[in-house]
Amino acid sequence: MASYQDAIDRLVAGNRVYAQRTAERDPNAFSELSKGQAPEVLWIGCADSRVPETTICGCRPGDLFVHRNIANSVQGDDINAASVVEYAVTHLKVKKVVVCGHTKCGGAAASLGDADLGVMLNTWLHPIRELRRTHKSELDRLPDDDARALRVAELNVQQSLDVLKQHPAIKKAVNDRGLSLHGVIYDIGHGQLRLLDDAGVKKANGLWAAPN
Amino acid sequence: MSDKETKKYLQQSHDKIFESNKKWAEEMKTKNPEFFDKLSEGQAPDYLWIGCSDSRIPAEAITGLGPGEMFIHRNIANLVCNTDLNVMSVVNYAVRHLKVKHIIVCGHYGCGGVKAAMTPQDLGLLNPWLRNIRDVYRLHEQELDGITDEAERYDRLVELNVVEQCRNVIKTAAIQQAYKRDGFPIVHGWVFGFRDGLLKDLKIDFEKMLGEIQKIYNLAD
Repeated sequence: MASYQDAIDRLVAGNRVYAQRTAERDPNAFSELSKGQAPEVLWIGCADSRVPETTICGCRPGDLFVHRNIANSVQGDDINAASVVEYAVTHLKVKKVVVCGHTKCGGAAASLGDADLGVMLNTWLHPIRELRRTHKSELDRLPDDDARALRVAELNVQQSLDVLKQHPAIKKAVNDRGLSLHGVIYDIGHGQLRLLDDAGVKKANGLWAAPN
Repeated sequence: MSDKETKKYLQQSHDKIFESNKKWAEEMKTKNPEFFDKLSEGQAPDYLWIGCSDSRIPAEAITGLGPGEMFIHRNIANLVCNTDLNVMSVVNYAVRHLKVKHIIVCGHYGCGGVKAAMTPQDLGLLNPWLRNIRDVYRLHEQELDGITDEAERYDRLVELNVVEQCRNVIKTAAIQQAYKRDGFPIVHGWVFGFRDGLLKDLKIDFEKMLGEIQKIYNLAD
């Protein structure tokens, strides 16, 4: 059992270092943070341990409001993600919503096959497995499963954005104040984010048009 | 700000994320050329973190962990609802497929979700989600009503909410069966405080809690 406790000690020690360094850099950091939050971005990403949003984006605490689940999937009947969106868009008034998929996604890879992952995960992954059926001919033409999993990850980001566009708070904020939606893919093998240029509603407010 | 200025500002803040990401990736590669190749091979995190969506509590940053070390679910007020397929899928995958050793439910003082749930107000789409926090209040009504200072009462509800969500994690078949077989995962309840940036361990007695829960919710067999 000792080693299990060590793993927890490690987090506690890591947290002490974080608290100390943050206070050293800026003695007011925590009193500022305790006043409240005003993040500009709602980040919807995968629960995968290799995609910690704040670290990979070089962001600081307070920058990104975050929801992470299996395969960054937004589903119409999911009250969990819908509540996050409602709070972020209506109450915190974020300016952007980012859905981030990634390469080597276990959920996307599992969606290429019919392995029984248990009733819970089978149900959750169903909308992603449906993408395989609806895009069969396109996926069949790809050279290997890695390429197919990546394409499913992209399609899944697109699908999540399509569901988000129907959320009442998002519809209203897009119209009233130019909230924008963006799809990105994080490449785990290179550590880099790539914008999906055909994913969002960005053209609606002129953002991400061709550089001029 | 004019419309044009707003757009320019938004573009810049968006560009900044991509620029910071590139810089971070280059730094990591310089420090360790194999860093990303290793990550590419797969993940084997020891921890599952269930925390709040609040932007001020990025789990990996406040615990000093790097990419690959912690599987993370974040939602409004770090709730684990029995009928929520989203969080249940995360717990299921983390326990049965990734075989995490520890599950940490982490709340935080000053939680907007908990505060919203204590406000007698119709919050529309948020009502069903936040009702779970009102249920926690009802379970501990006597204790909470006995705290006269409002800030203190609210802090205590944050703690009690974490404990209740730990209970909900322990009610699952995935945890009970894995623990019986392997002796892990262990469930922990923590609270993050903005005043000092430190994590407070609520010192949940996991085995005792599991035993109590299994009187009614036993799914281990």
